[in-house]
Amino acid sequence: MDEFLLLTVSVITSGLLVGTIFSVVAAGLSLIHGTILLPQAANGQVFLGAGLLFWLFGTTFEWPLWVAVPLTFLAVAAFAFATERLVLRHFYPLKDRNISYLIITLGLAQILSGVYTGTFGKMTDTFQIVPPVTGFLVLEPFPISNARAIAFALAALVLVGLIVFLRMHRIGRALRAVFQNRDVARLRGINTPRIYRFAFLLGTMVTTAGGILYALAYALDLSVGWTMSLITFAIMIVGGPGSIVGALCVGLVFGFTQAIVSVIADPTIATFAYLLAMLAMLFVRPSGLFAR
Amino acid sequence: MADFKAASLRGALIAAAVLAAGPAFAQTPLRVGWNSELSGPWTFFGNACLDAARLAEGEVNAGKKIIELVVQDNQTNPAQAAAVSRALDTQEKVTMLSGPTNADTSLAVYGYAEENKVPFLVPVAAFPRLTRPGTTQTFRIEPDAVGWGYAAVKFLNTLKPGATIGIIMNDFAVHRAILAGLKYQAEKDGLKIVSEIVFPQSASDATVQVAQIRAKKPDYVIVAGGSAFDVTLTNQLLDVGFKPDQLYHPYGSTKQVLSWGPRSVGSYFGTFFDHNLETLTDTGKKFVENFRKAKGYAPGYVENYCYSTLYLLKEIVEKGATTRDAIRSALSAINTKEITTGIPIVFDKNGARMEYMYLQQIKEVSKDDFKASKINYIEWSPEVLPVYDLAP
Repeated sequence: MDEFLLLTVSVITSGLLVGTIFSVVAAGLSLIHGTILLPQAANGQVFLGAGLLFWLFGTTFEWPLWVAVPLTFLAVAAFAFATERLVLRHFYPLKDRNISYLIITLGLAQILSGVYTGTFGKMTDTFQIVPPVTGFLVLEPFPISNARAIAFALAALVLVGLIVFLRMHRIGRALRAVFQNRDVARLRGINTPRIYRFAFLLGTMVTTAGGILYALAYALDLSVGWTMSLITFAIMIVGGPGSIVGALCVGLVFGFTQAIVSVIADPTIATFAYLLAMLAMLFVRPSGLFAR
Repeated sequence: MADFKAASLRGALIAAAVLAAGPAFAQTPLRVGWNSELSGPWTFFGNACLDAARLAEGEVNAGKKIIELVVQDNQTNPAQAAAVSRALDTQEKVTMLSGPTNADTSLAVYGYAEENKVPFLVPVAAFPRLTRPGTTQTFRIEPDAVGWGYAAVKFLNTLKPGATIGIIMNDFAVHRAILAGLKYQAEKDGLKIVSEIVFPQSASDATVQVAQIRAKKPDYVIVAGGSAFDVTLTNQLLDVGFKPDQLYHPYGSTKQVLSWGPRSVGSYFGTFFDHNLETLTDTGKKFVENFRKAKGYAPGYVENYCYSTLYLLKEIVEKGATTRDAIRSALSAINTKEITTGIPIVFDKNGARMEYMYLQQIKEVSKDDFKASKINYIEWSPEVLPVYDLAP
């Protein structure tokens, strides 16, 4: 009975933590793809870059959290702003721009990966931040660290905030209008290029939040970006591009499938199991669970 | 008088030959093709190794240049490592190969070296296949990973005979070899493995698995993740209530120990070099000091092996081995001591080194340094284990 309880609590905490953090990164991707038709292949590298910068400012330079976190957001925002201005906006007038964007962002991913290797890669192979909080949250009989509990709470907050923003705020509603039908949105007076720009910045900031939260919960290395790219792409496609609720639901399916299959089989089978679960969902709704 | 003239002429000819040979020897340093991971996932290890090798190169060549490293990047890619080997051999005309720090790239260089009869001295790569029976060109300085598993069992058995152990690790070639040695020796020595969890390489969370291990209540947990996951595993095991002195890491470099952090004070790890060792030679102590001054952290076993490799090469060059055949013969017959630790370097018929391991306990960890004390030291012959059957 004790063992059953221990495993049940561990499955719940693992499913929630992994599910919400991956959902946050997938939500960033989903916002960008849903609005601009931009399959952001460099999303995983942006996520990794955010985590690495957070590590650099917070752990290597030992700057306080209230400096390290805003500075990470600022640095990534500057990068996103420059990328949008110098590259992405030139493709907005094209109807079939998604393949061009895929190629461009794949190249960007390779460049970013090379930059990280040549800089951070020479410093160490593991990037572990000093947790800003210590101690444990004890869910009898299973303690989880406060840093992880906070990462989960913040990830949930980001997702809820995003859903509320998209539903309640004027710009959020304009974004949703563009998700649903670009031409009608334009006819209704929405400045679509401006919304595209905003969506790219917002999506990148959400991904940045994911990178910081991941670094808070786990350690980073330079391979994490590619893994994150693949998984969050799958979550976005199955959830439906542009749908934050979709990203959240499929992210949780991903987290819980991994946790449950790990118990009844093993962690290697678990990595295939979530793909099977996603495939099954695509059979039910080929365009994505929450696609419009 | 004629005899004197003839004798003088002979003497002059011999002197001329010696003089001619002398400068020729002094002017042609041994060209070593350094095929390493300067980019790609193994960047840190490749660069750390090269930093240490460069430090030794400067010291070895202080009087006259006797070794020249010709460095090329294999991008942590086995295909590239094979291509680099060919370029170093056929274009750069190096006499021998060295430098890789990764099992996969080392195996690629091994294939080239064995096929093309180029001597290959591997500083850091523990996969046993590098010295499988029939190997003629390759010599490996780092003990093989099957032995690391053997050392873990021997050590834990001294802490608590017949202890129960849990194993949690990532699925890497080196970890599979450790696991094979561990299971083989645990059965022989009466250690009971109560839980064995192997993760895929891309794993990020171990919440459920550490709960599974905790449910089995082992005396010790052997933990070996790859890069970041190693830290995640360690933290999550400590989170669920394992005490640091219940954790054993089969290997630990300086950066690894720093990443485990102050929470791991009390944990054990196996290593082949630790800057805290009191038994370091004077050269070893100087190496630690100089490396720390240059790079900001104390060298670990990776850096030590790369540093020592250059001194080993110096020794064989000073014995007159400058051709491929002579280098091969000199390495086969070598019976020397590692310059930094004084531990013997002797290769068996397959090029594998006599095995050994220090078992350390972490005493203090700060941001840039750690203190550890030696709890045990184990030495054994590679032949006590069926290494090549366990990790073919």
